[in-house]
Amino acid sequence: MDLIRHVQCFVAVAEELHFGRAAQRLGMAQPPLSQRVQRLERELGVRLFDRTTRQVTLTKSGTLLLTEARNLLASAEALTATARHVREGRSGLVRAALSPDIAGETVAAVLDGFAERGHGVELELHELSTAEQVDRLARHELDVGLIRHPCDVTGLELGPVLRHDLGVLLPHDAPAAGFEVVPLAALAGYELILFPRELAPAVYDDLLTTCARHGLTPQAVRHGQGASFTRGLLLSRRAVAFAPRTESAPSPSSSPFPSSSPSPETVWRPLAGAPLAWRHSAAWPRGRGEDAGVRAFADTVTEALGRTAASESDTAVPMPSHPLHLRPAAEYWI
Amino acid sequence: MTEPTPHPRTPPPPGAGARIGAAFAGAGVTGWLHARDIDTDAEVDAGADRPVVTASVHKLCVLVTLHEAAAAGRLDLTEQTEIPAHGRTPGPTGLGAMLDGARLSLRDAAFLMMSVSDNAAADVLLERVGLDAVNATTRRLGMPRTEAVETFGSFLGSLRKDAGPAGPRAFADPRVIAGLRALDPARTNRSTPRDMTALLAAVWRDEAGTPEHCAAMRRILGLQVWPHRLASGFPFDDVQVAGKTGSVPTLRNEVGVVAYPDGGRYAVAVFTRAASPAATLPAADAVIGTAARLAVESLRTPSPPGA
Repeated sequence: MDLIRHVQCFVAVAEELHFGRAAQRLGMAQPPLSQRVQRLERELGVRLFDRTTRQVTLTKSGTLLLTEARNLLASAEALTATARHVREGRSGLVRAALSPDIAGETVAAVLDGFAERGHGVELELHELSTAEQVDRLARHELDVGLIRHPCDVTGLELGPVLRHDLGVLLPHDAPAAGFEVVPLAALAGYELILFPRELAPAVYDDLLTTCARHGLTPQAVRHGQGASFTRGLLLSRRAVAFAPRTESAPSPSSSPFPSSSPSPETVWRPLAGAPLAWRHSAAWPRGRGEDAGVRAFADTVTEALGRTAASESDTAVPMPSHPLHLRPAAEYWI
Repeated sequence: MTEPTPHPRTPPPPGAGARIGAAFAGAGVTGWLHARDIDTDAEVDAGADRPVVTASVHKLCVLVTLHEAAAAGRLDLTEQTEIPAHGRTPGPTGLGAMLDGARLSLRDAAFLMMSVSDNAAADVLLERVGLDAVNATTRRLGMPRTEAVETFGSFLGSLRKDAGPAGPRAFADPRVIAGLRALDPARTNRSTPRDMTALLAAVWRDEAGTPEHCAAMRRILGLQVWPHRLASGFPFDDVQVAGKTGSVPTLRNEVGVVAYPDGGRYAVAVFTRAASPAATLPAADAVIGTAARLAVESLRTPSPPGA
């Protein structure tokens, strides 16, 4: 008996609770589907469904076996995928990704670092946004990536979260450039240059919420990403942008992120209290952490970004440290 | 073997799923939805068979089980229960937040469980009926993928334990979020959007119990206080929304029924997971209403003749 195929039939009927629909979904005729389910019931020695003329329901045994059955199908899929890689001679391949906001020097450092510690594993490196990475990790089309938080981390394991504090880039003659450390509220009269929201709605909202919490509601938000575009907006308007520390400011090493190129017309200042940060971590599908290629890539990117990461513990998302007694914000309470 | 006759299933109108997906993405969440016209079984499916963590939404299953036990004569809903101050399940609302002992009828405890998601009241009732009875009820009502495996106290306990000594502050750490048992449908109380609309439809069609008991359950669901999720999508005085919410860090859920004055009634189940672990995310709450309205409106859009 082809157990996997029979289990597929069981799961399809369990999900549809209807033989006709399940057969349609599996692209097969109904009589062989019924036969397969009966065969599986005989093989397992339990009845999986109660069938009446009006409806199909899962038996208690069926319900108990359904989770196991799904796990079996998921494992079978993973087995097939791995086998395909081996067949194609790609057993020593790791499919990895970096997001487009990583500086070219850092990408080069990651490639060099992986060659050193990858033990001959071949690296297939893609440039993918966090959303694309999360999607492909879930579909096992990517082995490991460097993702930006916050994002949906369902089913993932993460490496250390690296925090890079953001400062502000301003025109050198802007009054706020007179501060050594700029309070966010001092930027209230400026327009803010920010990446387009659809690239990462949660990161975007998080950033604007933190600004509002610290007294900054920008005059307007202008969307732009490229370094020269950002610089043009900075110079021609009363506009500012957030960026990690650049070479124009004293720093032990260069930033892993590209930012507006330092120029005499712009200055970079740290923000008071470091309320804003980019946060990244390596991520891989749960259970793949021991895979040599995944391990090597995760360690390499963590090291490459970690050189410049802030060392203090990560508390970027403001969470009340004291219990709130005014109004329940949620239904849970721990 | 004779196969059953299928319920008539209308294919979802083109575009509804895509618009719902775009609304979820725009709010910074991943979402799964099922909407069902209670009278025709026409549906909108946007990830309707995805296993989801129910959290407090499972209190709806407890409510139906309680009424089933009452209908069978195993308990009396007006029976008074002593609920001492100590040892009850904590929470931010209802008896869970109160400081002193209380004495309530079972049905008033059920009212607190549903209207303000009172964890203490829910566990008092759950202890009374038992997890097995809750699962027997959901199976009987045709919800094969719904399973209650723990009490609400145990659910919150796992959250507390996984957060560690840092308490709620730990939820700011993506690695803590990635490891929470309370976010894994395989390890806690679970269902699917499709299962939940089946349960709601059974309550609204008087199939989840006697008509009197179903009416009592509908009354309680209509007295729910939270306006920020499902109800926010229907800001119309003549449209009624009855529902039950559920929340865990990053998860926001609501299942409920939307009733229009022309008699149209729609069961909707929306389960979301936010990218951000922040507790206050108004957009993530509101998109539950937005997605539900997109689904209900597509069910209410007349098909062109001959289509």
